[in-house]
Amino acid sequence: MQDIKAIYFDGNSSIAQSIDFVLDEKNAIFIFGSPQLGNAKHSVMDAKISNHSGLLIIEFGTSPIQTIKIDDAEYIKYLKNYLSANGIQTWYQKLINLGVKVHLLIALSILGLIAGSYFFVLPFVAEQAVVLVPKSYDDKMGEEFYQHFVEYNVIDSAKTKQLEEFAQKLQFNNSQKLHFTVVKSDIVNAFALPDGHIIVFTGLLDLMQNYEELVALLGHEATHVNERHSVKMLCRNIAGYLLISAILSDANGVIATIADNANGIYSLTFSRGFEREADLKGFEIMKVNKVNPNGMSNLFLRLKEGNKIDIEIPEFLSSHPVTDARIEYVNETIKSDTYKYQTNLELKKIFEAIKNTTSE
Amino acid sequence: MEQTTTEQTVEEQKNYTLGFHGTGSELFGIIIVNWLLTVITLGFYYPWAKAKQLSYMFGATSLNNDRFAFHGTGKEMFKGFIKALIIFVVLYGILIVSVVFHIEILGFAIFYIGFLGLIPLAIHGTYKYRMSRTSWRGIRFGYRGERGQLFGVFIKGILLSILTIGIYGSWFAMNLRNYIFSNIKFGNIEFKSNARGSSYFVLVLKGYFLSIITLGIYSFWWMSEIFAFYVNNISMHKDDKEIMLKSTATGVGFLGLILGNLLIIVFTLGLGFAWTQVRTMNFFANNIELEGNIDLDTISQTEDEFTDATGEDVSDFLDLDITL
Repeated sequence: MQDIKAIYFDGNSSIAQSIDFVLDEKNAIFIFGSPQLGNAKHSVMDAKISNHSGLLIIEFGTSPIQTIKIDDAEYIKYLKNYLSANGIQTWYQKLINLGVKVHLLIALSILGLIAGSYFFVLPFVAEQAVVLVPKSYDDKMGEEFYQHFVEYNVIDSAKTKQLEEFAQKLQFNNSQKLHFTVVKSDIVNAFALPDGHIIVFTGLLDLMQNYEELVALLGHEATHVNERHSVKMLCRNIAGYLLISAILSDANGVIATIADNANGIYSLTFSRGFEREADLKGFEIMKVNKVNPNGMSNLFLRLKEGNKIDIEIPEFLSSHPVTDARIEYVNETIKSDTYKYQTNLELKKIFEAIKNTTSE
Repeated sequence: MEQTTTEQTVEEQKNYTLGFHGTGSELFGIIIVNWLLTVITLGFYYPWAKAKQLSYMFGATSLNNDRFAFHGTGKEMFKGFIKALIIFVVLYGILIVSVVFHIEILGFAIFYIGFLGLIPLAIHGTYKYRMSRTSWRGIRFGYRGERGQLFGVFIKGILLSILTIGIYGSWFAMNLRNYIFSNIKFGNIEFKSNARGSSYFVLVLKGYFLSIITLGIYSFWWMSEIFAFYVNNISMHKDDKEIMLKSTATGVGFLGLILGNLLIIVFTLGLGFAWTQVRTMNFFANNIELEGNIDLDTISQTEDEFTDATGEDVSDFLDLDITL
């Protein structure tokens, strides 16, 4: 290819100088010059060549940095072909040249990889990390919450004593001591703390009709403690947060907010998973204690009754599986795993005592 | 005699045009390739990625059809990154040691004062590096601010802002801005910024209340006012000639820019980020006008090279978003 006209900046002044430019293909050098400048040459290898839509800019030298600007479309095409044919093009440029479709594919693959690690690797790692958290942490976390909680709530000491007695007769597969507390409240619910405190509200006790339901409830809550669900949840949430903030640290606010909320909603699936596990292992506890498993589905009916005023929130926004789904899978478990149960008169007696004790 | 006068008046007004020539797909390619390499290298490619992206953005911006250039390299920024890392390790080290030896108060004091002190140093370093590595027609920019003076502006600003429960903040921001811009050189052209704190304070106060009253709608007009205030106060000088900067951005313009960018981000789940960047750059290039009589053919190289990117990297660590 013959020489062309190009623009040259010598790095000392801003004057644009018109030059003749030619490439010596064989020696990989370019030669440029003008009547005023004379001729100069430079190696193609040492030059930084960048392509800006319709413009090729060659920079070379250090101080001063000299610049040649070529805007002849034909010649740019020729130079680019020469560079790629002779392997002078950098590997970076090769990646850039892959084009927007391949780039989109790469982007989607990286996103897929991130999603994969978020959905599969992260829960696994978080689960493993729980082993590293000392048991004393559970105790401290639970104890602190418990102290705070009892300060603002009224304990029903008579019922608490009876519930402790009730629980004494049961086998919970537990590795740590469980403490049972009855709190006066209309709330139809119960919850477990990581240090083994299990709190039952009188609102739920009042609705119960059979001791088997109470066994189901305690079995469910005991499983939360046994399986360290609180700490698992914490580990997963922290890991999820770390991953998201690591990836999106440079992303803009909109995307970060979307991701943050998505993370929150997704972590609810873990919560629901833990509830399900507590239901199923609670069932095992009923089995060990030879208690009628129907107590569990009845328990769910009570919960449903007690909360019926509330509008049922869609499952994906809830920390618990929807009650109907729970009743369904528990009934299925009952059907598939039949065992012999008998009426436990002792438990029945204590349960009736609890029901008959009027709150002071 | 008369002839020369007419020649001079003909020469008086020059034409200047800013332009941005980047495309979304090109920038997208760079961002994605950088992302890939950064993921593969567990983050170590970041300085090189940053150099490539800055180089593209500068190279796509033009003044009178000649492109700007960014000469910073990944290697420089990597070295800076290591130095910045050492600074932060030392700061955190002091904190940890103080906790171990139960002299927490002293430790925290050193830690926070150190952190605060790093900000002006990072700003100084960033401008020094970025300006020196930026050129147009082969002529380097430069930043000639003194570290100690910037430090003084900063400390005075912080103290007075605390004493005036934040009111002085407007004066502080403008003093800082004026100091930095008035120390920028472009070859033998000198930049000047003359933004008054009081005007800025009124602008901020007015915009804040009008935005609340109009449920945020006014915020776009507020942005255009702040942008115009920044731009219109910048000028360039060479001998007795000058170039004034003028903003033509409108509130409607900002509304279109931001709303459009938001829609692109949301509907592409963030993948359209490159296109929003290009839109923004186009908007700025199209809305800054230059008027004056400096002959751009007569600029000569005056500024030294400065290749220490530590300040640039400390800014990254501190998440200071330093833009020109």
